[in-house]
Amino acid sequence: MQPAMNEVKLSRPLTILGLETSCDETAASVVVRHPDGRGEIVADVVLSQLDEHSAYGGVVPEIAARAHVEALDTLIEEALTRSGKSLKDMDAIAATSGPGLIGGLIVGLMTGKAIAYASGKPLYAVNHLEGHALTARLTDGVEFPYLMLLVSGGHTQLVLVKGVGDYERWGTTIDDALGEAFDKTAKLLGLPYPGGPAVEKAAKTGDPKRFAFPRPLVGEARLDFSFSGLKTAVRMAAEEIAPVSEQDIADICASFQHAVARTLKERIGRGLKRFREEFQGVAEPALVVAGGVAANTVLREMLTSLCAENRFRFIAPPHRLCTDNAAMIAWAGLERMAAGFDADGLDVSPRSRWPLDDKAAVMLGSGKRGAKA
Amino acid sequence: MIVLAIDTAGVDCSVAVYDAAADAVVASACETLGKGHAERLSGMIDEVMRQAALAPADLGLIGVTVGPGSFTGIRVGVAAARGLALALGVPAVGVTTLAVLAETARRSGKTGAIFAAIDAKRGEVYLQPFDDAGRPAADAQAMLLDDARDVIGSAGAEVVGSGAAVLCDASAEPDHFDIEAVARIAARQPKGTGKPAPLYLRGPDAKPQMGFAIERRA
Repeated sequence: MQPAMNEVKLSRPLTILGLETSCDETAASVVVRHPDGRGEIVADVVLSQLDEHSAYGGVVPEIAARAHVEALDTLIEEALTRSGKSLKDMDAIAATSGPGLIGGLIVGLMTGKAIAYASGKPLYAVNHLEGHALTARLTDGVEFPYLMLLVSGGHTQLVLVKGVGDYERWGTTIDDALGEAFDKTAKLLGLPYPGGPAVEKAAKTGDPKRFAFPRPLVGEARLDFSFSGLKTAVRMAAEEIAPVSEQDIADICASFQHAVARTLKERIGRGLKRFREEFQGVAEPALVVAGGVAANTVLREMLTSLCAENRFRFIAPPHRLCTDNAAMIAWAGLERMAAGFDADGLDVSPRSRWPLDDKAAVMLGSGKRGAKA
Repeated sequence: MIVLAIDTAGVDCSVAVYDAAADAVVASACETLGKGHAERLSGMIDEVMRQAALAPADLGLIGVTVGPGSFTGIRVGVAAARGLALALGVPAVGVTTLAVLAETARRSGKTGAIFAAIDAKRGEVYLQPFDDAGRPAADAQAMLLDDARDVIGSAGAEVVGSGAAVLCDASAEPDHFDIEAVARIAARQPKGTGKPAPLYLRGPDAKPQMGFAIERRA
């Protein structure tokens, strides 16, 4: 793969089949890139494994991998049928090859390789995070550079998106992902999985000021995040007042969510200012949000007003495209193709860890294998 | 009919192109990898097809080992086989590793009923009986060593595969699944029996998490 110097001028539309299997959604999508750079999702099929994992309070990797291999080929057929196209019409196949749960990545990538080989089409092994990072260009045609906040069950990152394949990670979590903190809070309080919607719902009738939870890393110049201390504070507060009533639960959820919102506001506020300083020529800078946590109404409202204060455009793609999906993988493949990146070989590896910004420093606790993402 | 046979269920990564009408392997390759099947398999398929001077469109059937074996390895092969079948519009069929062991034993001259047994670790074997015609006499299952010894002892049939050593309390070498046997079994399998699906014989080893929640007021 070589970084492209210039965007390739294309006189005809490009069509790609995209596959996504990095966590607990099995997905297939057909996306077209028109010569003017506009993207069009012509089919987008997602099968959530939520029910299979809910009893375990989180995604079980082996259960996820088993579900992917049973479902993926049928979903691909459905996506093709809905698109009214066949594999012959595809210009390439794009499959997520990392980062994520290795068992699922293997299923998607092996299926992608097999289809690419059998149909004689090039294969693009796509970084899942790049899919999230470029979605705003598919939905809103956002121009480079922009800032992307990815908040999901697996990731919490603030990324500078400079171009296709050109990213700088400005901040990441040093421990838990934000979605994970929501899940763990929900689990502690006996709320259902996934924790995000459950905590948000309970918080609606709660008092956000009852518990003064910590706001980790607030005030620090670096743009990283930390949520494990907050998680511990929530547990200690709950243990102190146990047994907890419905109102206690609501108050804990509201106070937790409030602490998260205040932390994010401070962290991201710093990021917006840094972007302003570094890119003074960008007249209308944009903050793009992605990931399942982006569905949280309180966080969304906070981000909307934070962007307004800082004269940033706030771009939140539709929820369906914020959570894991294959349209973003197809689109990332199209962007790579259009930017002149080489396709990947049939020997390309699935990668459980694959930082978007390969120059980013390894975070403490990432272990010998290096940065998770 | 040209069959593409794939095995990634064990330590080997194997591919063969088999001509069913001639009952002959046209080209094949086997690499004992242990790990890394996901990286090598697709390239090996391409290499073997080139050796056979065939194009993907010449394939009429995909045969793949579905286990029991390495969970991840099984999925490497099954995902590839189902992807190929989808793209080529040809059927794919699953072949169990136990059936491959029984077939290989019969081809090497063994007669009578056979137990195929694979070392399943954790004090178990994957076990399946085959009758004197090579047909499965019962479903494959994961069994504790003592239970397996009881079943085998009462039947008095010969045991083939890595499980044989384990059942004698000896250390077992990993199984090698003959790719020609995979192709031959796939070719004679009735078509239209559904897609190849992994045969894990074990659950996903996850337990519902309880006891994390704080006590709630009644």
